[in-house]
Amino acid sequence: MASAAATAGLLAGYRPLPGVYDEMVDAAGQVRPHWAPFVGRLSAEAPGALSQRFAAADRYLKESGVFYRVYDDPSASERPWPLSHVPLLISPEDWSVIEAGVVQRARLIEALLADVYSGGGRLESLGVPASLLAGSPDFLRPLVQAGRSQPRHLHLYAVDLGRSPSGAWWVLRDRTQAPSGAGYALENRIALSRGLSDVFRAFDVQRLAPYFDALRAELARYRETDDAGVCLLTPGPLNETYFEHTYLARYLGLRLVEGTDLQVVGGEVYLRTVGGLRKVRVLVRRIDGDFADPLELNARSRLGIAGLARAARRGSVTLANGLGSGIAEARGLLGFLPALAEPLLGERLLLPNIATWWCGQEAGRDAVLGAFDDRVIASAFSRLSSAIPPGGPWVVSEMGGPEREMLTEAILRRGVDFVGQEVVKLSTTPVWSDGRLAPHPFTLRVFVAATADGYTVMPGGFALIGEQQDLRAITMQRGARSADVWVMSQGPVAPTSLIPSETQIVVRRGDGVLPSRAADNLFWLARYVERAEATLRLIRAVATRVSGSRAQGAPDVAGLAEMLMRWGATEVPRGEDDAMHAAESALSHPDLDGSVPALVAAARRAGLGIRDRFPPDAWRALQDLHAYVHAPVEPEGRDVAVLERASRALRTIAAVTGFQLETMNRVAGWRFLKLGFRIERALATCRFARQFARAQGGSREELDLLLELNDCQITYRSRYPFGAAFAPVIDLVLLDESNPRSLAFQLQRLEEHTLALPLLPPSNRPSPALAVADRLHDVVAAFDPAKVRGADILGIENGLMHLSDEISHAYFRVRDPFVTEGGAP
Amino acid sequence: MIYDIRQTTSYSYGSYVPFAAHVLRLMPLPQPGLDVLARDMLIDPSPSEFSATRDFFGNATTHITLKAPHNRLTVESRFTVALTPGPLVVPEETAPWEAVRRAAQATTSFAARSPVHQIFASRHVPLDAAFLDYARAEFPSGRPVLAGAIGLMEMFRRDFRYDPGATDVMTPAREAFSTRRGVCQDFAHIMIGCLRSLGLPAAYVSGYLRTHPLPGMPRLEGADAMHAWVAVWCGEGVGWQELDPTNAMRAGTDHVPLAFGRDYSDVSPIDGVIFDSGRHSVAVAVDVREHQSGA
Repeated sequence: MASAAATAGLLAGYRPLPGVYDEMVDAAGQVRPHWAPFVGRLSAEAPGALSQRFAAADRYLKESGVFYRVYDDPSASERPWPLSHVPLLISPEDWSVIEAGVVQRARLIEALLADVYSGGGRLESLGVPASLLAGSPDFLRPLVQAGRSQPRHLHLYAVDLGRSPSGAWWVLRDRTQAPSGAGYALENRIALSRGLSDVFRAFDVQRLAPYFDALRAELARYRETDDAGVCLLTPGPLNETYFEHTYLARYLGLRLVEGTDLQVVGGEVYLRTVGGLRKVRVLVRRIDGDFADPLELNARSRLGIAGLARAARRGSVTLANGLGSGIAEARGLLGFLPALAEPLLGERLLLPNIATWWCGQEAGRDAVLGAFDDRVIASAFSRLSSAIPPGGPWVVSEMGGPEREMLTEAILRRGVDFVGQEVVKLSTTPVWSDGRLAPHPFTLRVFVAATADGYTVMPGGFALIGEQQDLRAITMQRGARSADVWVMSQGPVAPTSLIPSETQIVVRRGDGVLPSRAADNLFWLARYVERAEATLRLIRAVATRVSGSRAQGAPDVAGLAEMLMRWGATEVPRGEDDAMHAAESALSHPDLDGSVPALVAAARRAGLGIRDRFPPDAWRALQDLHAYVHAPVEPEGRDVAVLERASRALRTIAAVTGFQLETMNRVAGWRFLKLGFRIERALATCRFARQFARAQGGSREELDLLLELNDCQITYRSRYPFGAAFAPVIDLVLLDESNPRSLAFQLQRLEEHTLALPLLPPSNRPSPALAVADRLHDVVAAFDPAKVRGADILGIENGLMHLSDEISHAYFRVRDPFVTEGGAP
Repeated sequence: MIYDIRQTTSYSYGSYVPFAAHVLRLMPLPQPGLDVLARDMLIDPSPSEFSATRDFFGNATTHITLKAPHNRLTVESRFTVALTPGPLVVPEETAPWEAVRRAAQATTSFAARSPVHQIFASRHVPLDAAFLDYARAEFPSGRPVLAGAIGLMEMFRRDFRYDPGATDVMTPAREAFSTRRGVCQDFAHIMIGCLRSLGLPAAYVSGYLRTHPLPGMPRLEGADAMHAWVAVWCGEGVGWQELDPTNAMRAGTDHVPLAFGRDYSDVSPIDGVIFDSGRHSVAVAVDVREHQSGA
């Protein structure tokens, strides 16, 4: 145990702010009892040891690729996850207050949503102003079904809490649309337990796993036999919390889908898979309700599914959360919930809200304008709209005269759009910075999930920690950090582990449900990676020849430059003898479609859409490759630099493909990946051969080059005592099935993979791709090595492209929907 | 007044569309002042799914799905309605506009025709500061609401030009406002935006105008296609009053309402999501004639 002196050292200089509650120490500067053992433990660490522990946590986050996207912009970088290392500790007594309060609140909001979406009869009889709800952009009128019994609206709920100077917990915001953060809470816990595993185990901290188990079981309750599984509907890789979607999908074993993966037929929702349509009964919705159906909701949405609103009304799909649940996020409601608890639940509200006055009523407006300087003014609803001036929320005491006047006039004219709230003073929790602890304000997000017989609360959560006492600044977008939340248990905690399932990709054994879009992305990922590899081989061959002083005009070198040009990797070289220039630009010009940077970027884009299926190591290798080929080229010693760069990129590609080979399990997804590789490799082999194996007038150097490009010089030399000759080279490169780089080998594998593809509905016939692959294999098997000519090879290339088309047509055909909005003048 | 109305909408697509889902709002629903005597709808090709229902605002909607590949779609709706508009309310006798605003903000009613749905921004109608500045002059303190709304409509007659070439279905209202040109849809959106920015309830009404004017009367703008105008809520007792900013007139026996909503997106006659390249053309033909008995 730590000495009092060490504890004092750790806490030296830790001064809670005046008039603010601090989580760790009381007003007299004494460490609170539930923090004492933890603080003691940290104090016992040797100097520097703590920093090492925290660095271990950071390393974990970096290695598992946890990120948060700051802007809705494809070029904006993904930001590494900022973890504040000291957890927030919550006492058992505090937790029981929070737990009971948030469960009651979930019930209250469910009752409210049920009434709103069945016509609002209860609320009308209670005298609730309709504009409080009707003004919300998340009030989705197509979902109102007057007088009908309502399915559950709120499956997943989160509350942002703060602690007031008196020590009481207050609700700051309700999150009812599609609450995010549970996945990040899980990541924080795993990261921190890397650095503090022994510390963590020494205390009775409640575990998170039971919450996720309960959630998994709850979602599975709505499934039916042979459906597509529980799906998580994401807006896609550009969303700020996409990482969390992929992470939760993997952790909970959900299928990650986008709107274009789904289709509504006959009022039922289906997933388009490579084996046809599969029914979807449960959707975890991570897109805003308004964007979920371009037909009945927002026609501008490119994320939704036409007909989803109708399917939801019919009850043929369970949505977690229901469409329109976001209406309960309206700030204006905060002022009314305390009064609604009694009539809707027959109970008094346990957890108070931050004091909120809605300006749509005279009393509320007076309370806001009468004490204007003590108020924060914000939108009454969950989102901004054109009705309120840009730039809020406003802290009135910080505003100048003209701005105040503008706001006062707007409130008097359209008070329905505004709330006034008290200025909060958040409590503080310790943050580790520069080797000591310092108090920082925070908000605490707590997660609630519905279960068959009530609700379950995640014993922990997600603390957002700000730099200063300003609630507005405490958002991830504005650079806040997050911390793990340890809920201390009254008794011993049963050891359960979060670790096993999330470090590897979830194996979905043989259920055959592979979304068409995922198959498409896997196929093209492989094609782009393989094409990049072939291009790099050309570049490397140029560089070795030029640095070996071979004339740039020699047929082999000129042929390489010509191929790079034909592949769109470079533009017409300035002089016919400037192969080196062609190689250099193919390596560095991302604006040409066939250049190495462009191909790798295309591969990465395809990979982004299926990140939930990616082994983390393979993803990291692909990221490394992307960063490497996009880094600026060193100007001097260009042929050496190009050679070095091409060789290194080839090694990184080997890492990408190696990981895929080893870690992707052999289900349908793996087949599409392999098909992509094999088709692209076969194409490159054909093209190399057509360029460099000329029956008449060809040179020995060209045949050597062909062997090099296909990586079979050693085999050739071991087989033939003489130098490169036409027929033996053709045999080895194109026809020898025992050579893993030969065309025949690729075709034989393509035949195997196409044979293993799912049969096509409705009559369970094999795809036409199989016949194409069979024929190609037969044609090449019948080739006579001495008689193969360019036209024969070209025929095979055309056949390969036909094969690619047949695969796309049979398995990927997902077209983006096009929305038409009527035809009036 | 009894009218026979026919609307034919024909789409042709650049390629075969394998799957399409549409929501049609092309059938009138009986309401006070409007009796539907006969109605029929022809859809070609025949849809594989068809269901008729009502939307939140009470409009008759038809959901259809086409599962067979098709490169064209024709929807023809035909109906006969008897129109008996109530007596026109005297504008100067309506409530002061501030009282109407207060009542709309305070109402507890969620019903389809409650003013509460018509005081907020909607997809096509932002609450632009420019709208507010424009409308303010017609609403001095205490002015009866309908008198103010009619004054606003008269301003439109003075300031705006009907110009079918200036805008299309997707032109934002604020753009049509700044150029002072547009068609019925634009004028309706702008007028709704003006009224709502003051806090007053204003709704979008789609419908038809008689195609053939009575002898000696001018042909109205928008008579050869669907038309749109504005409904203004004038307090509990008076309810909704309809104004046509395109023709600067109150809606009467020449205006046959079809659908009611917050803006065009709520009443759009045919919404669709098709799986296609997106190249398509559409032709709309409307005919509104006085019913000939026995015809």
